[in-house]
Amino acid sequence: MRKVAVVGVGATKFKARWIEKTYFELAFDAVKEALNMAGIGKDDVESVVYGIYNEFFQRQFMPELFTHDYLGFTFVPATRVAAGGATGGAAVRTAFMEVASGAHDVVAVVGLEKCTDCWDYDRATATPEVLRSIAYSIDMTYEYPLGAFAAAEYALPTVAHIEKFGGPTEEQMAMVSVKNHGNAMNNPLAQSGKEITVEDVMNSRMICYPFKFYDNCLYTEGAAALILASEDRAREITDKPVFITGVGSATDMGFPGFKTGRKSNIWEFGSTRVAGERAYRMAGIKNPRKELDVVEIHDAFTAAELLSYEAFGFCEPGGGGRLIEEGVTWMDGELPVCPSGGLIGCGHAVGATGVMQTGEAVLQLRGEADRRQVKNARKALVQSIGGVACAYTVAMVLERGE
Amino acid sequence: MTKRNFDRAYWLSEASRRTGIPEDLLEKTFAGELDADRGVFEPLEVPDVMRIRYKYSYGGQSRFFREIRDNARIMGAKCSVCGMVYCPPRADCSECYAPTEWVPVSSEGAVVTCTKVYFSTSQFLSSVPYNCAYVKLDGADTWMFHNIDAEDVKPGDRVKAVFREKRCGLMSDFVFKPVGE
Repeated sequence: MRKVAVVGVGATKFKARWIEKTYFELAFDAVKEALNMAGIGKDDVESVVYGIYNEFFQRQFMPELFTHDYLGFTFVPATRVAAGGATGGAAVRTAFMEVASGAHDVVAVVGLEKCTDCWDYDRATATPEVLRSIAYSIDMTYEYPLGAFAAAEYALPTVAHIEKFGGPTEEQMAMVSVKNHGNAMNNPLAQSGKEITVEDVMNSRMICYPFKFYDNCLYTEGAAALILASEDRAREITDKPVFITGVGSATDMGFPGFKTGRKSNIWEFGSTRVAGERAYRMAGIKNPRKELDVVEIHDAFTAAELLSYEAFGFCEPGGGGRLIEEGVTWMDGELPVCPSGGLIGCGHAVGATGVMQTGEAVLQLRGEADRRQVKNARKALVQSIGGVACAYTVAMVLERGE
Repeated sequence: MTKRNFDRAYWLSEASRRTGIPEDLLEKTFAGELDADRGVFEPLEVPDVMRIRYKYSYGGQSRFFREIRDNARIMGAKCSVCGMVYCPPRADCSECYAPTEWVPVSSEGAVVTCTKVYFSTSQFLSSVPYNCAYVKLDGADTWMFHNIDAEDVKPGDRVKAVFREKRCGLMSDFVFKPVGE
């Protein structure tokens, strides 16, 4: 397998609504920025992988085809990858394999989503209709007709985790929200940067026990792009290549009610545990907490970040809540998690999210993350999760090139 | 700025006919576009809808829904090799790659994990608050997602399926209630 580097990063601002641009135009802005950073033209791109999750958001099936057309990639192969919330990470993984295999030398990844054109006319607001179009990703026969939706599907494993370990506490979950909203204040592309307190989170309205308003990410709109290149091409393009040195992916059961302990467990993010082990093995990481310098976690819900700490081996199972309470994952801690603000701080532009977070890791490793820079970051971990109750995980280790 | 130069009433009636959205809601949502003079470069929003109709087959899981509709009972599917009882059922054991056979399971069981929903999708927002849970029915080895009709629910609570008098062959033909109520 060949070494694969990221040589270009681009992203639009993540906004509640991009009324002034279509999703083609958002993709264009992100790709243009990534090409400019790499110093190459669109005709140097040999293949494009699109991470676009949902057809209903833009009432358009095969959305990648029309995006590809707008981007001017005529006769360049276009491949769309979709894996729920993990769509962005899955797209990066696919592009990684295209380069690692020798099939292509330069591949673009485009993560894209415009979520909030869905509109609930009865309530004159977007969110309930956005949530409905996402809830179609839950089993349509047995679960969707009973009112299942994304927050419930992450609350259920969280409650099972609390039942088993006695935590995390709601205050510990709230700390994730405080941290990531705060971190986002250092990220000009983030939607939700703000200074809030644990009390603000605790006092915000209940959405789905134990998640209050501030425990949830907001769905948002945006695009992110990366340019991946083989080692030889990367060294021609840049003197600051960042290599993807570990890639792990795992898919757990789509029916959480079958996670009875026989094969997998309702109380843990099993796909993250297994994907993490695979990524660490490939990157030669033995002690992730010591060896990693910065982490981008898929914090769609605050508890998801804490359960991910455990699944990635930053602490023992059940210890995620204590880790944030002890300050380990804050910007000034031993292992900063989500300097970008994560999903809670940036907003969740589903297909774009994992691509944006991979790009954030690249900027950290290049030392170009401005006010959110983690000092001397050399190894980063990125997690992209999705599906019902963390069914999908893509985990990637990135390292600064020498 | 340019003057509005289209028939407001026609726009509303056509939009409503095309999308099924009532005219008064369209009027409220698009008031800015309909009533103000906007420049040609301003973003233009339009109503749209996606709607597909189905005649969906339950295939090898059909008996599960027939039994719910016709006999108000819950069936599981037992693997002919490992003996695992799936409920919701499967025609095939996903581990052994062997066929399953139908077995009755109890309508009573225990809550494994649960949550109370206070905000939901547009389809279910009028039903909040409601409880969602995974329930392990006695005699089944897997857990079923369902609603619990109770004020407070916690893991470990005993619940039983209560069937509606008239049924369609859907999961919503029954709901769980605490045992003893």
